[in-house]
Amino acid sequence: MISIVLDVVGAVLLVIGLTLMTISLYGVLRMPDTYSQLHAQGLATGPGVIAVLASSVATENAAVITFAALAIAFVVLTSPVSGHAIARAAHRRDNTGG
Amino acid sequence: MPAVVVVPAMVWVTLLLVAGGLVRARDVQQRVVALDLLAVVAVALLALLSCFWDVGYYLDAAVALSLLSFVATVAAARYLASGGPFG
Repeated sequence: MISIVLDVVGAVLLVIGLTLMTISLYGVLRMPDTYSQLHAQGLATGPGVIAVLASSVATENAAVITFAALAIAFVVLTSPVSGHAIARAAHRRDNTGG
Repeated sequence: MPAVVVVPAMVWVTLLLVAGGLVRARDVQQRVVALDLLAVVAVALLALLSCFWDVGYYLDAAVALSLLSFVATVAAARYLASGGPFG
């Protein structure tokens, strides 16, 4: 019973994550500006990959779930920082004209 | 998780990885954005491989790849902003 529930939860999380990553990649492909691309990439990719990593609860394997939680914590910490670093670099380059 | 869910998801993520190679960047910042996006897609692909084979060590590679992509992105951004990684 709980296995079926976990399978359904994992599949739903997988679909959500893949949809978010597809939206993000489409935004990066279509947007003309660096800041617009960064908006699409930074806002949709992080939750997408978090959902894909969280779908590994369906494996019911303790080692897999622990490392998935570690990877989720790492993505939560680093995704905004890298987005901010790219945005600051683009801002500085635009302002100095170089 | 059943393979009927995981295998199409892996195919879809691989297609995303291919489509990310088609990003036509006009300047260096857009290339850095595309690089970060591709690294995240590769992390998702490693997580799906871990789900598919039901082993944990693909997630070790996923954690290491996300760490490397973070360091690479921040170093490239600082290099672009100020001409050096520590400047």
